[in-house]
Amino acid sequence: MPVVAAVACPHTPQLLMRPETEDRELVLRVHAAYARVKQRLTEARPDAICLIGGDHVEGFFLDAVPAFAVAVGASVSGHFGPYDYTFPVHEPLARAIVEQGIDREFDLVYTQDVRLDYAFYVPLHFAMPAPAAPIVPLYVNVYLPPQPTPRRCYAWGRALRAIIDARPERVVLMASGGMSHYPGTHRYASPDFEWDRAMLTTLREGRGADTARLTADELDKAGNVELRTWITLLGAVGEAKAEVLCYEPSWHHGNAMVTWPVR
Amino acid sequence: MNAHYFFPPAAAYPLNRALFRLKSDPEYRQRFAADREAAMAEAGLASEVREALAAFDRDRLVGLGAHPYLVFMAELRLKMDRAPAAFEKF
Repeated sequence: MPVVAAVACPHTPQLLMRPETEDRELVLRVHAAYARVKQRLTEARPDAICLIGGDHVEGFFLDAVPAFAVAVGASVSGHFGPYDYTFPVHEPLARAIVEQGIDREFDLVYTQDVRLDYAFYVPLHFAMPAPAAPIVPLYVNVYLPPQPTPRRCYAWGRALRAIIDARPERVVLMASGGMSHYPGTHRYASPDFEWDRAMLTTLREGRGADTARLTADELDKAGNVELRTWITLLGAVGEAKAEVLCYEPSWHHGNAMVTWPVR
Repeated sequence: MNAHYFFPPAAAYPLNRALFRLKSDPEYRQRFAADREAAMAEAGLASEVREALAAFDRDRLVGLGAHPYLVFMAELRLKMDRAPAAFEKF
């Protein structure tokens, strides 16, 4: 079966737990865009959701830092503040991705016991289709340099697409991350919205392959280390032209939600 | 260029480990909230590091090799525990 939907979403914790410093109307507009995504995913009737997320030093700490990892346990769990969550993993698909990914010479890490951070949880909280589908968490190292290169992320996305296209399941591809933000740094209050908007124009024109030529320095400078999850997705959607469902710049974050037509 | 997110120096491992536990280990976070000095001693941190962490001085911590995201999220998780009513939950 083909990929039945492709979407990229933000996951800032302020969308889930809003402090008074966060504009409530903005948060609600992002929620509204999430509601549209949920509707589309429900209409797509997926058997599984492959969720490409940037690990926030939660699944993996400095004892082992995989560039790309796949969760192949029976389920994955995590917690964030008052939220405790568990999602079943689509084991046959997860296992096929690991086995065929290795066959295709991507030296993946797999794990049957890993925590799921809010970067994965927030999109599922707001956009899990009804009925719910099991997930395949696909981890990308975005925060611990040296991270995988954009070129490698794009190539991994292409391989993922080829693996999924040969499977019987209806699969949603979802990337969680971005856009510009600099948590914990002196630039936290000044994201690079101009960079984000130029990137969204590139994606609307179907030039996602351009992202494979970005460098680690460029992504870090633009506050877009997490864009590696989108670049992985872009490898899977190729030259499809993006539809931007929302771009909501807050005082610290470019909240973008984007979908791509598939087949 | 000086990257916002840089390779974590090995010398800062105890500090990053303590920040990771503050972020992700609720029991350690509670111990830290109850008695910072004891929790930092348990983590084996040098005195200079303990001072910066006790004050949650971001720039000093990052200067000592702390991962900026860990500083950010450790501090937020402490705040979420301390003042849960300060957040509107969706």
